[in-house]
Amino acid sequence: MTHRRSFLQTAFAGGLASVAITRDLYAQASGPIVIGHQIELTGGFSSWGYWHDKAAKAAAKLINEGGGIAGRRLDLVTEDTESNPAAGARKLRSLVQRNRASFIQGSVHSGVMLASIPLAAELKTIYFSTGEATEATGSRGSRWAFRTGSDTYSLAGAAAPWAFNNLGKTWTMIFPDYAWGHSHYQEHKAVIERLGGKVYDPIAVPLDARDLLPYLTRIPQDTEVLFSVFFGAQSIAFYTQAKSMGLARTMRMYSVSGTIEAIAPEDIDGAAEGVVVVENFPRVLSAKDDEFHREHLRLMEVDDVHAREASSRRVYAKSHAWQAWENLFLLKRAIESSGWRTKRDDPGVVEALEGMEMPNSLAHPQGAKTLRKQDHSGMVDTYISRVTNNVLAPVHKVTKESLAENLPPRFDFSTQAL
Amino acid sequence: MSALSVNRALTLLLLIALVAAPPLLGWMEVDFWLVVLTEILIWGLLASSANLLFGQVGLLSFGQALYFGFGMYGVAIGIDRFGLGLWPAMGLGIAASLGMAAVAGLVAVRLTWHYFAIITVVFSLIFYFLALRLKPITGGDDGLSFAAPPILDWGSLRLTLGDDATQYWFVLLIVVLAFALQARLRASALGRAFAAVREGERKASLLGIDVLRVRWIAFVIAGGLAGLAGALFALFGRYASATHMYYTVSGEAVVWTVLGGAGTLLGPAIGAALLILVREELSTVWEHYPLIVGALTIAVVVFAPKGIAGGWNLMLARVLGR
Repeated sequence: MTHRRSFLQTAFAGGLASVAITRDLYAQASGPIVIGHQIELTGGFSSWGYWHDKAAKAAAKLINEGGGIAGRRLDLVTEDTESNPAAGARKLRSLVQRNRASFIQGSVHSGVMLASIPLAAELKTIYFSTGEATEATGSRGSRWAFRTGSDTYSLAGAAAPWAFNNLGKTWTMIFPDYAWGHSHYQEHKAVIERLGGKVYDPIAVPLDARDLLPYLTRIPQDTEVLFSVFFGAQSIAFYTQAKSMGLARTMRMYSVSGTIEAIAPEDIDGAAEGVVVVENFPRVLSAKDDEFHREHLRLMEVDDVHAREASSRRVYAKSHAWQAWENLFLLKRAIESSGWRTKRDDPGVVEALEGMEMPNSLAHPQGAKTLRKQDHSGMVDTYISRVTNNVLAPVHKVTKESLAENLPPRFDFSTQAL
Repeated sequence: MSALSVNRALTLLLLIALVAAPPLLGWMEVDFWLVVLTEILIWGLLASSANLLFGQVGLLSFGQALYFGFGMYGVAIGIDRFGLGLWPAMGLGIAASLGMAAVAGLVAVRLTWHYFAIITVVFSLIFYFLALRLKPITGGDDGLSFAAPPILDWGSLRLTLGDDATQYWFVLLIVVLAFALQARLRASALGRAFAAVREGERKASLLGIDVLRVRWIAFVIAGGLAGLAGALFALFGRYASATHMYYTVSGEAVVWTVLGGAGTLLGPAIGAALLILVREELSTVWEHYPLIVGALTIAVVVFAPKGIAGGWNLMLARVLGR
């Protein structure tokens, strides 16, 4: 899959041979189409990165078995961001300039994606974010940046009213002290206060904190809903330490999918029992029981209930990693429908992506969705699920239509010049 | 022919090669490496700041990342928050790092060896955590991203960092000037005072040298060089982050210095170049590449304790019979 050219190889072996070649980055109208994948294989997000990698590779294999993109082979090139914004930006440049990637399937790490978006715009390269910080398709967005999945704006708009009516009206929010957490806080606070609820001062936890007790003890006693946003090891620390403090006895625990992503409730000894979670792609097959979802799970080699990998104890980071799968198919459609041949034709792909409808299919197993033209945001079905007997299963569904109706676009990138 | 004239001729050749790199790499169809070369120049400058303290004055600092970070944030905040142009923002970054070094130096230069190393780490950690906490100013863990203003916008002449070759020549020019300044410094009375303090502070003070003052001046100059590197790195990445203020970044600068040859003018930059090239080659193959970088560093330190440039100088002296 990986095609790259080593400096040493070129300098000492191939350099002289290239004398007669007229170099033009934009002249390759045939041969493989290179898509770069900027992911977190190491660092804090590595438990998710594994699944983004697996999903993208499985999708690329499927696309190539089906004849590639416009008859050309898809070459997927992967670079590890080390869960570090500076390294991520460097790897983005490497994907575009070194590996000649024409399109980028981007990071789920909000810091990495926010550092990458201006660079992608400068390199005039289409970049798909998979993280949730709303700025990626908002104040820091650009015409070159898209996101098929949810952002904090849509997750708050979809699920916070339900949580307000069903869980409680006095909220405290606890989250990691970086873009993703703050973005969730701001969007949820706006919704809860608009509905007449009360939101206490936020509790922002340093990213490297593992002992959360100093932060959990700051939660006001009369909190009705404790809204948490964490990932990886900090999620486990949050659930287990919150349980040991007995917080669930006095307040309702509410989280975004990221907090329980890649974690099986049974692996944390019931610490997540009763927790309500907003999901994009329900963990259990029965919540969206169709042939596409079933086949997707088969190809990802995970079970139908816990989304656990057959050959390991890993749990599919399903609510985020589906984008790594679907975005490749989305790009395939945009490339083919716009008649793209070289990077010179990129503006056509941008225009094709804007407003694109995606039907429920094996290409889009999460379900039918729209990539909204103005703010480049995916309008997707959202599920509110609860952990019961260690199984995370939906109790309520918010359709993409009602989401779009309640969340008017706040930005219009489609008017920006390409 | 003396070793000095051989080294001067090689430095001139290196400079010619560096100036010609953009068309040369373009011709070889490996223009991505121009971006890596730009990065090497910047990190080489940071390594030279660690070298000024360690190689010339005998102070092992694990805190150069602090001044690098001040340079970065000076540029990012200047552009993103104050709307400054490129040159004023760079000036802000360098002034911030010089100011910080001047203040920290007042405390740090009173200590030597491991006490000095520890105090530089402590300063670095304090400001690293402050940068993480002061989210409205520094962007916290997310850092600050910005669009770089033009280098020059004069009538129809507009030079921007968006063009890789322009960016490279811009960085090369500043880095070459910074190294030329260091070369002048080494040959000056102050440079000789640095060497005297390194060789023995008691002897230096008997010669009438104000040791603390000399150390403080070296500390501030090294801080300014690190700040200049940070300012260039922020412009290069269009981004500033607290991660670059962490003491491990300072540690990398020390490793590059030791590997390349502490006390030599270009050794630290050669060390940085070698390890960055190794990183670029290995990181796409194996994500745990730092293990190999570590093993390589240990091997060089064990088998060539004076570093690459030091080893080269020894060999040259042997070949030329002096």
